[in-house]
Amino acid sequence: MPYGEVYEVFARKTHDEPLRHVGSVNAADDDLAKAYAWTVYDEENWVEMCVVPRGAVIPITSHGAVPLWGN
Amino acid sequence: MTPAVSTDTEYDSIADLAADAATGLRNVLLACADTKLLLGYHYGEWTFGPPELEAAVANCSLSQTELGHVRLLHAVLKKHFGDDPDRLVDDRDAAAFANVSFLDTDLPDWPAYVGANFIVDVTMTRVLHAMRGSAFKPLRMSLDKMIDEERYHAHHGTGWFRTVAQRGDEERALLAARSQEALDSVIEWLGPPGDPGDGALVDARIKGRSNTDIRDAMLEELIATAGPLGLDLKVRIPDDWQGWNPATRRRTSDGPNADILYHLRGGGNTIFKLA
Repeated sequence: MPYGEVYEVFARKTHDEPLRHVGSVNAADDDLAKAYAWTVYDEENWVEMCVVPRGAVIPITSHGAVPLWGN
Repeated sequence: MTPAVSTDTEYDSIADLAADAATGLRNVLLACADTKLLLGYHYGEWTFGPPELEAAVANCSLSQTELGHVRLLHAVLKKHFGDDPDRLVDDRDAAAFANVSFLDTDLPDWPAYVGANFIVDVTMTRVLHAMRGSAFKPLRMSLDKMIDEERYHAHHGTGWFRTVAQRGDEERALLAARSQEALDSVIEWLGPPGDPGDGALVDARIKGRSNTDIRDAMLEELIATAGPLGLDLKVRIPDDWQGWNPATRRRTSDGPNADILYHLRGGGNTIFKLA
């Protein structure tokens, strides 16, 4: 059963490329989120990786909703 | 991070070292390698059955990195001490292993796993970190890689220690019991104050801190973490170190149990081994 919080994972392969969203993990705290992000998304030699609690993300657009007038 | 040791005097080979420092170096490298070998085995076992899927993936990864570290340490032992890595794994009596004794048997439940991850694994990293920037130059590159990779082991251990401690009274009590077992065995592994082999390493600047200093720092941090979570861990430093063997880092002549060694060595697959 899911517990804790969803953390969004961001990473980049080189210093001159922007951080991009690579996925998410479910974790009880920040320490586990770091460990899970690093071990789950280990397909690249990332130069930078970070996690953000989804609850800390402030939506500006209405999340996932298609406007009445379409995309 | 500043180097753990001063590098005023540097050594390229053990031929430049005093005999007691060379012996102490082999002992600590082999003891770390043995402990990491057993950690890799147990982490691999716990790829199945942890409380959540992410922990299964993490354990698989942690197992891989520990076995990679064993290869790095064995490479140093082979090049500088003439040890045969295959023999170190496959052809030693259990009583010759120098791993932390907590890993001698199966880790029967998740709190035992957490004790291994949070207390045993992190202590190994503390010992390796004490050799960062070592005067024994062949260690340096391997140590940097290992310490960097161990950050995620520490996050995993810390996160699960905290998580299990906060689950409830029963879980916390079992975590306290397993952590106490792990702590007692780590204290024995680190050895007595004034261990001459360890002192020789510090004197030669191969290590920046003695194992006693490492133990005290580990205890301080562990108690500071465990106390607020309601875990009352006891610091049980033996009064009597009689019989403590610096080569095996314990006072008894036991070792990993036969079942673990059988599986770890691939006992059923010896005919398929490549020469």
